[in-house]
Amino acid sequence: MAARRARVLSGGRVRRYARIIGTFVAAEAKNEMAYRLNLALSVFESFLVIGTSLGAVLVLFTHSTSLNGWTLPQMVTLTGVYYLIQGGVSIVFQPSFEKLMEHVRMGTLDFTLLKPANAQILLSTRHFALIRGADLVMGFTVVAVGLYMLSASVTALSLVTFIVTLFCGLMCVYALMLSLVTLSFWFVRIDNIMAIFYAFTDAGRFPVDLYPGWLRFTLTTVVPIGIAVTVPAEAISGRMSYETFVGMLIGTVLAVGAASWFWRIGLRNYTGASA
Amino acid sequence: MRKTQTPASGSATLTSPMSDRVVEVSGLRKIYKVHERQSGLGATVRSLVKRTFKEVQAVAGIDFAIERGEVVGFLGPNGAGKTTTLKMLSGLLYPTSGTATVLGYTPWDRRDEYLRRMTLLMGNRTQLVWDIPAADSFLVLKEIFRIDDKSYQRRFDDLVELLELQPLIHKPVRQLSLGERMKVEFAAGLLHAPEVVFLDEPTLGLDVSMQVRIRGFVRELNKRTGATVLLTSHYMDDIVALCKRVIVIHHGKLLYDGGLADLAERMAPYKLVAATLRDGAADADLSKYGEIVSRDAGRVTLRVPRAQAADQTARIVGELGPDLADLTLEDPAIEEVIDRVFSGDHPFGTPEREPVAAR
Amino acid sequence: MNLARIYRALLLAGFQQAAQYRIQSLLWMLFAIIRPVIFLAAWVAVAAAQGGDIGGYKVGDFAAYFVCMTFVSQLTMAWNSHEFEWEVNQGRLSAKLLRPLHPLHYSVVENLVFKLNTLPVLVVVLILISISFGAIYRTQPWHVIAFIPSVLLAAALLFTFNWVIASLAFWATRMRTANTLFQRASFVFAGQIAPIGLMPGWLQALSYALPFWYMMGAPTEILRGGVTVEQLPLILAGQAAWLVVTLFAFSWIWRRGVRAYSAVGA
Repeated sequence: MAARRARVLSGGRVRRYARIIGTFVAAEAKNEMAYRLNLALSVFESFLVIGTSLGAVLVLFTHSTSLNGWTLPQMVTLTGVYYLIQGGVSIVFQPSFEKLMEHVRMGTLDFTLLKPANAQILLSTRHFALIRGADLVMGFTVVAVGLYMLSASVTALSLVTFIVTLFCGLMCVYALMLSLVTLSFWFVRIDNIMAIFYAFTDAGRFPVDLYPGWLRFTLTTVVPIGIAVTVPAEAISGRMSYETFVGMLIGTVLAVGAASWFWRIGLRNYTGASA
Repeated sequence: MRKTQTPASGSATLTSPMSDRVVEVSGLRKIYKVHERQSGLGATVRSLVKRTFKEVQAVAGIDFAIERGEVVGFLGPNGAGKTTTLKMLSGLLYPTSGTATVLGYTPWDRRDEYLRRMTLLMGNRTQLVWDIPAADSFLVLKEIFRIDDKSYQRRFDDLVELLELQPLIHKPVRQLSLGERMKVEFAAGLLHAPEVVFLDEPTLGLDVSMQVRIRGFVRELNKRTGATVLLTSHYMDDIVALCKRVIVIHHGKLLYDGGLADLAERMAPYKLVAATLRDGAADADLSKYGEIVSRDAGRVTLRVPRAQAADQTARIVGELGPDLADLTLEDPAIEEVIDRVFSGDHPFGTPEREPVAAR
Repeated sequence: MNLARIYRALLLAGFQQAAQYRIQSLLWMLFAIIRPVIFLAAWVAVAAAQGGDIGGYKVGDFAAYFVCMTFVSQLTMAWNSHEFEWEVNQGRLSAKLLRPLHPLHYSVVENLVFKLNTLPVLVVVLILISISFGAIYRTQPWHVIAFIPSVLLAAALLFTFNWVIASLAFWATRMRTANTLFQRASFVFAGQIAPIGLMPGWLQALSYALPFWYMMGAPTEILRGGVTVEQLPLILAGQAAWLVVTLFAFSWIWRRGVRAYSAVGA
């Protein structure tokens, strides 16, 4: 992911970041393997959670052939995307951001800031919680199942737009989390705020058009889990309109830009303060 | 120069025909099984398939008995088994083998009657509710330990006075400093006037003045209530200030059980002679009088066997005459004695008394 | 009895403590509300697609069901299975074991205090949700009377069951799995997806056999008025039976757990 962004910058930096991230992955992998049972159990838990969620969707569909216009294969795919996003966030972003907030609280941020690499990227990818990979794998599997169920209608275009919007969705959530963490520069304890956002992400499991107006708005802007999940699912199901796609792209660029800008302000403020 | 500690003088345990043994320990043993974890990717992968265990003897069979009203110190380096022993005596841990009786109860049965008559205070572990004033936590303890109103009020006032708690007890515990919190925890642990008090590293992490105050408090407590006190510490000052009797534990075995003064005599049967020489004679060779420990700008410190100390001192005075500016005769520092005990060193010359063997 | 005085003292201290955690408590409530609202929205959409009625449940019925479910789950919730592991590892359990009071009592009080503190706000929020979704309550007066013993049994059952799981912390290196299992089983069998009547037949049967429905679904249906007079004694009996079984299970596992804990040390 960070590699992808770097490609936009310059070739040499790509290799450097890739190597850095590579060492992070190796270190974490070794650490995590030591907890042998944890791995197996983590997979089991993932299976349980996603399985029962799919079960809930199936129960809904025993009484109807459509959920607000969404068919079962489309809903299965959406559920897969939901857990894909959850998995992606919890593997990469969540641990790193939690550590970051800890650093800010303890005042130990300086160590990372002194390293000769973009602080934002380093901090965002530091802790690969590989053990959470299970969610990601399961998510992929469910998406694959959904795609299989949809197979007749999957085109190259929908596949490409799916991948692009999926990436955009992840970046939107990234932007949100980065902004939240930036807040911790001023309000050291923002756990409560984060908890509120976590609570709202549960709503991503259903298509965002299901919800009453205010909730739909919240899930599209403030807590973008709604669009992060629904739009890619729409893309692959052939439900996405051109406007939505463009809107998504623009929105993502704006969101990430704004969040990065906000972060830089926070960082400046922080280092200025401790100088 | 190392400060010399004067061990609390006095004989070892008081024994009387009607001795009231509050603590009796026999053959107490505690063995732990520990997973062996190795580093390296290869070993980690192997451990996914097969796990190895290692047996650790935390307490390797010890025996001792403590009379009512004694203040006994458990001395030993980290990992020696002191805390483990204390946990067994308070009932938090049960032994692999052996017996122990406190106030006639088997501690690990954890009978309510036993719990009401004893207390275990573990240094900086908090058992009070964090967010409310200590005084309010005390009221909960009052009910749990069934303390009647009059006794409670009396003990409350005593403890507040003894520990200087007045400004502290109505503040939420979270707002207190470490030292203040420990004082309040102490009070909490003593509200029910226990007959037996187990103290695990009571002065750990405190500044010197607080350490002195805690020691004073424990002494007062023992004097006023006659509570039997068992404390573990690796601060020599604690032991020296409070305990007439000391039990030395190392590698889970009991090395010594007796008076602190006796310990010094047995384990380090020598005295330190420090002779200060006048400028002219600063190079004089004093090695014939004893083993030279240090030589420092005209001040020479010698180690001299106890038996010979008096004679050697007289010889030095006689033979050096006017070259001698000052002469002192000291007991070895207690820390030094203890170090020797733990390292198994035999002091020079004299045949060593065998360490009290574990059964 | 001394226990009454102990409880009074513990409750007093508990309320003082809770006053410092107002915000956290409200947040927990938010978590509790969001899930049912989400599923309510889903069922409303499904019902709309089917002409407003599914298996005898109208949109208003769904609203009433999920509102009651939220209310009941708040009244019966217990969280020791999440925290106990921490207590064990931090040595806080030791401090409790050194006192002549069963550690369970502390958590009973903690549980009560939290619920009493959050209930007023929750009721207000639920009334608002009821109105906005047009909830239909078919509750008769006798439903309300029957609700009281039912919810008490349910709370006791869930609390004890939760403690059975919490006790696994004495041995388990990974409590998360046990907690996930319990949470997902509740999700499926306690009626959190939908009223049990709308679940597939085999799931329904399992729900009536397993304890989970008796922890949440049963009082919910009673409060909503979805239960007939004939069904009531069976439901209450089921709750009582499961409570007895769970109490025995807890007593057994707790004693063995404390022994195991005392073998390894606090």
